[in-house]
Amino acid sequence: MKLQLRRDTLLKPLQQVIGVVERRQTLPILGHVLLRAEPNKLVLTATDLEVELVANAALDAQPADGVSKPEIVHETGVTTLPARKLLDIVRSLDESSEVSLQQRESQMVLRSGKARFSLTPLAAEDFPSLEEEIEFASEFAISQHVLKRLLESTHFAMAQQDVRYYLNGLYIETAGRKIDAVATDGHRLAKCELKDLGQETARSQVIVPRKGVQELLRLLDDSESEVLFQLGTNHVRVSGSGFRFTSRLIDGRFPDYKRVIPARIGHTVTVDRLLLREALSRTAILSNEKYRGVRIRLAPGRLEMLAHNPENEEAEEHLEIEYEGDPIEIGFNVTYLLDALAAISGDVAELQLIDANSSCLLTDAGDDSCQYVIMPMRL
Amino acid sequence: MDELRKIIHIDMDAFYASVEQRDCAGYRGQPLVVGGAPDSRGVVATCSYEARVFGIHSAMPSAHAHRLCPDAIFVRPRFDAYRAVSRQIQAIFRRYTDRVEPLSLDEAYLDVTSSTQHHGSATLLAREIKQQIFKETALAGSAGVSYNKFLAKLASDLDKPDGLTVIRPEQGPAFVSALPIGRFYGVGKATEKRMHEAGINSGADLRARTLIELQRLFGKAAEYYYNAARGIDHRPVESERPRKSIGAENTFQTDLDDVSVMRENITTLTEDVCASLSSKRLRARTLTLKVKYRDFELVTRSQSLAYPVSHAKDLIPVLDALLQRTDAAQRAVRLLGVTASNLVPSDQLARGYQLDLFRDSVEPE
Repeated sequence: MKLQLRRDTLLKPLQQVIGVVERRQTLPILGHVLLRAEPNKLVLTATDLEVELVANAALDAQPADGVSKPEIVHETGVTTLPARKLLDIVRSLDESSEVSLQQRESQMVLRSGKARFSLTPLAAEDFPSLEEEIEFASEFAISQHVLKRLLESTHFAMAQQDVRYYLNGLYIETAGRKIDAVATDGHRLAKCELKDLGQETARSQVIVPRKGVQELLRLLDDSESEVLFQLGTNHVRVSGSGFRFTSRLIDGRFPDYKRVIPARIGHTVTVDRLLLREALSRTAILSNEKYRGVRIRLAPGRLEMLAHNPENEEAEEHLEIEYEGDPIEIGFNVTYLLDALAAISGDVAELQLIDANSSCLLTDAGDDSCQYVIMPMRL
Repeated sequence: MDELRKIIHIDMDAFYASVEQRDCAGYRGQPLVVGGAPDSRGVVATCSYEARVFGIHSAMPSAHAHRLCPDAIFVRPRFDAYRAVSRQIQAIFRRYTDRVEPLSLDEAYLDVTSSTQHHGSATLLAREIKQQIFKETALAGSAGVSYNKFLAKLASDLDKPDGLTVIRPEQGPAFVSALPIGRFYGVGKATEKRMHEAGINSGADLRARTLIELQRLFGKAAEYYYNAARGIDHRPVESERPRKSIGAENTFQTDLDDVSVMRENITTLTEDVCASLSSKRLRARTLTLKVKYRDFELVTRSQSLAYPVSHAKDLIPVLDALLQRTDAAQRAVRLLGVTASNLVPSDQLARGYQLDLFRDSVEPE
């Protein structure tokens, strides 16, 4: 294996795959990245056995600027190198520098300018891959920014290391032209729907593990370019130009989330989203650091926010709103309210409250595609 | 600024010996040693004040005590009797405050900051507690009253037996200054020697040192000494030492090699642990499975949870997953253990208890 390329050409795919490399691995080879030099490209693969990321470095054999050296694979081949060391080396090189990689007996030698690094590979045939042939039952094309927005609007509500393992991921349901994404940690729930995909797709319901969702988010950009989204019995795959993301799915039944989205009863108030968000952030400063509890009180004409902490400090603020009903007082973990307010983008938020023991529904007043359900906290 | 606290330290006088003298008329007025026999390798547990006159003190070898006072009466301790008296005394304390931290059978700290009896006078309260103890047990104790544990304990020792000493906030620093360094709480023989080597012989010497100098000498404990030299001690009276963990384990008569049998055992152990959790009104955030293989190799696997649990049905799936992270399927197992740690009182959950969308039935107990 022997190739030469620009530092930036190597850095980008390395950064795309590095997130999946665990800092502490059970198997040494999981700390490595697989490099496959093909005639005109270098393919990088990293995996933690649950998520596999493949990123390509497309080599430019005839740079248009006429100054840069051509990027060439002199000898094809495959090897594995310690991922973080390789990233640290490449990242620390000058931005415009050139890099060569060459097999020298049992070592891989990386040269750039006057620097030389000799790295120890592990046998490429030992590098674990997810199953070779994965069958996908349904697939659709979706533009990157739409998919990214769907994930960004929901992912924060995923559970983390919950005993209810099926909550430690993002639920994706496809049916006809519609996609729903749902995440919940039991305390709050985020649900967003994409109403018209522009194409029909087969019906499927999957749970993508938390780590997979986070890595996918890192790969997606805000462009219109489309990716192919494929769903199988045990895997999900998203392929775009230059990358391929594959993740195992969580084998479990997602709870009946529709049941916990409150019907439109109770008291609905509309508030300026940014004003509410800022006021809550201020009030939260004096909330109990552990519980982050903030009391929300609806009174005629006012939405009041109150917080206090064990040090006997207090914060309160109110917004003027149109409300004529009975006073209602509910405690919430303020983080959940702030997460939801950050996820919607419109100017006006709609807040539906029933009583101190019932969930609250938060939406964008001008866009009903995303719903945020938040359970109260006893204060 | 912290609220000024009112702490009472009660220390029964020559406790074991006094109980023996109370229960046996023949021991009264006599030099009495409770502990090992004089011809044994035992030591003195407690001795009566009559014996102390001869230079006998606790932890001294009984043989030595016998040489100092050949007429002394030696008796074996009767811990059941002492425990019974201790329970009586504890019950008296709890009539005055909930915040009682027992240090041993005959010694306790009481935080009476929020007591309203005697118009909040800790001195009058201490006197009443002493009188009450004497009335109900016919035993004397000494009380120290001050604004923290360190000074309250020093105070109780100043006027023994049957003493009552108060160190007021304004007296604290001067009192500490004059104190020999060995009398500071937490300064044992070894630390005392190092203090002397560093030229620190009294509270005043200690106070003259900067925090940084003390850190160089004593590391982590420096802050405590630095504060102590100023009569400051923030340690709270801990009425219940928080339990760190609750566990159950079982060593099998014959090693287990069937995973389903192991799982049954884990279920039984989990139910034991959950019964303890609920009787102590606690929930656990961390679960640990302990597995000892046939060859005595011991492994543990732990999992921390997003929310505290106390019901077996919530614990068992986690422990099953932990079992799968061991070699139990391949290697015979001689011992299984289940431990719940990172414990949270259930009643704390009422406040800040986050309701759950799917498990509303799990209400705070």
